[in-house]
Amino acid sequence: MTTTSQESGNEQSTEGHLSFRPGPGDRQPAAYARRRRSFEVAIAFVAPISFFALWQIASTSGWLDERFFPAPTTVWSTAVELVRTGELQESLAISTRRALIGLAFGVVSGCAMGILLGLSPLWRAALEPFLSACYTVPKLALLPLLLLIFGIGEAPKIVLIAITVFFFVWIATMEAVMSMPESYREAGRSLGAGPWQAMRHIVIPAILPQIFVSIRLSAGVSILVIVGAEFVQGGDGIGYLIWHSWSLLRAEAMYVGIVAVALLGFVLGEVVKWVGRLLMPWAPRDAGRAVM
Amino acid sequence: MRSGNAVEARAVERVFHSRKRDIHALGPVDLDVRDGEFVCVVGPSGCGKSTLLRMIAGLVTPSAGELRVRVKDGRPDAAMVFQDYSIFPWKTVLANIRLGLDLAKVERREADRLARSWAAKTGLSDFLDAYPASLSGGMRQRVAIARALAPNPQILLMDEPFAALDAQLRQVLQDELLEVWQADGRRTVVLVTHSLEEAALLGDRILVMSNRPGRLLADQEVPFERPRRPELRATPEFVAFREQLWHLLRDEVRSA
Ligand SMILES: Nc1ncnc2c1ncn2[C@@H]1O[C@H](COP(=O)(O)OP(=O)(O)O)[C@@H](O)[C@H]1O
Ligand SMILES: [Mg+2]
Repeated sequence: MTTTSQESGNEQSTEGHLSFRPGPGDRQPAAYARRRRSFEVAIAFVAPISFFALWQIASTSGWLDERFFPAPTTVWSTAVELVRTGELQESLAISTRRALIGLAFGVVSGCAMGILLGLSPLWRAALEPFLSACYTVPKLALLPLLLLIFGIGEAPKIVLIAITVFFFVWIATMEAVMSMPESYREAGRSLGAGPWQAMRHIVIPAILPQIFVSIRLSAGVSILVIVGAEFVQGGDGIGYLIWHSWSLLRAEAMYVGIVAVALLGFVLGEVVKWVGRLLMPWAPRDAGRAVM
Repeated sequence: MRSGNAVEARAVERVFHSRKRDIHALGPVDLDVRDGEFVCVVGPSGCGKSTLLRMIAGLVTPSAGELRVRVKDGRPDAAMVFQDYSIFPWKTVLANIRLGLDLAKVERREADRLARSWAAKTGLSDFLDAYPASLSGGMRQRVAIARALAPNPQILLMDEPFAALDAQLRQVLQDELLEVWQADGRRTVVLVTHSLEEAALLGDRILVMSNRPGRLLADQEVPFERPRRPELRATPEFVAFREQLWHLLRDEVRSA
């Protein structure tokens, strides 16, 4: 045997026997884990740094057409400029507001529908087939219809996000309610919980972890949807900034917009995680990460 | 309802209707549980013991016959301890124990006081703010027992409360339950168990049930004086009594 693994120590073959001894990870587990962790953090930076370095070189040396692929340094100075004029913050604020309002409506209606259908076989029989069929309709394709119904203000975009989010949250909530152990509800009833008390003390906390997973997914989706909607309709928001910059051949501003959207999605996801940890102190940290 | 009985069952049966076929789970069963009595129910798996308890708790209705249970505020004056950990992971130990009182809208300070005192009696005082995820199986069942007792129900229903624990811990919790119950002024208890030793140590009376549909095969008084001590287990009388019970049950288990 010639294999040596850092985790499990050395294995040496002596006359037909294998001997196992502690490796560095076994002798000083804490220090080893710490070193290992710093190493993992360090290599996580390697990929993005090499990516941007290569891009910079390719762009400045002329391998890439600078009109479409401006160097990261150019993009950075454009970003500084857009922040100075306030254009970037304003666009981000407008889009964030739309996304959050739509998200809120979608989450509340999705939870309500999920709990109703999860608890009541009758309502499930009545509505689930119809809603499942609606789930697969591409929601962005509804935008013209929503514009017709709601006019051209904020409403159609917010409704579009709410509809999209509704389905994510509805499905997750309904499944969570249905997979809730029967003994939870029986324990509540045997302690004298009425329907509303059972909702507050048992059903909602029991399904909260799954609801939060679906909200995290929905937060990302609502950003995608709002950017898509602003591409095709209206004259403001971060989606408009991206699309408009592109059509004006201001590629550097487009890249600023794209990066800003990515950051916005990341921040929103972290906020949802943080709120989830506040509301669910009993859950292990980062519950739901595995599901994502 | 005759005074002096906490539970009266008259020809009680329960049939479950599932998609494929009907399952005759229990009965007919006739049963009186006197106030303050500790009744243990033993019988083969699937004979309807849990169903009987759930009927007494008002969670399931009988399909035939009549079941009368002492009530308070319009619902059975009974609390249930389930086998699987039905304590709520999202509530701290204290909040779990206090739940029945909160639901009954007992004033917060009084509810806290009662919950703390039950926690103390069940050895949970050091874990009041812990969440169940960080507790061992034995601790969780102590929480389940304290939670059931805190609203002071007249009847305590226990469905194989220690079945999921290892043998040593099971014995410890049996001893604790014996002590708590004897100190507590003799509440009515119906305890379902697989352990004849548990039944003989804790019960005033042991009901032996048949295979499904469960009927009462035997109704055996337990001959040991109260208050009992855990050391009773080691006495020759106890061992002989347990053997006698096993003879009653053996044929049913064999043909199950
Ligand atoms: N809700 C239910 N629906 C259908 N069948 C059930 C239900 N509850 C119990 N049963 C059936 O009734 C029988 C008795 O169950 P149970 O009372 O749990 O038995 P025990 O507790 O004695 O093991 C079993 O065959 C079980 O499958
Ligand atoms: Mg059972």
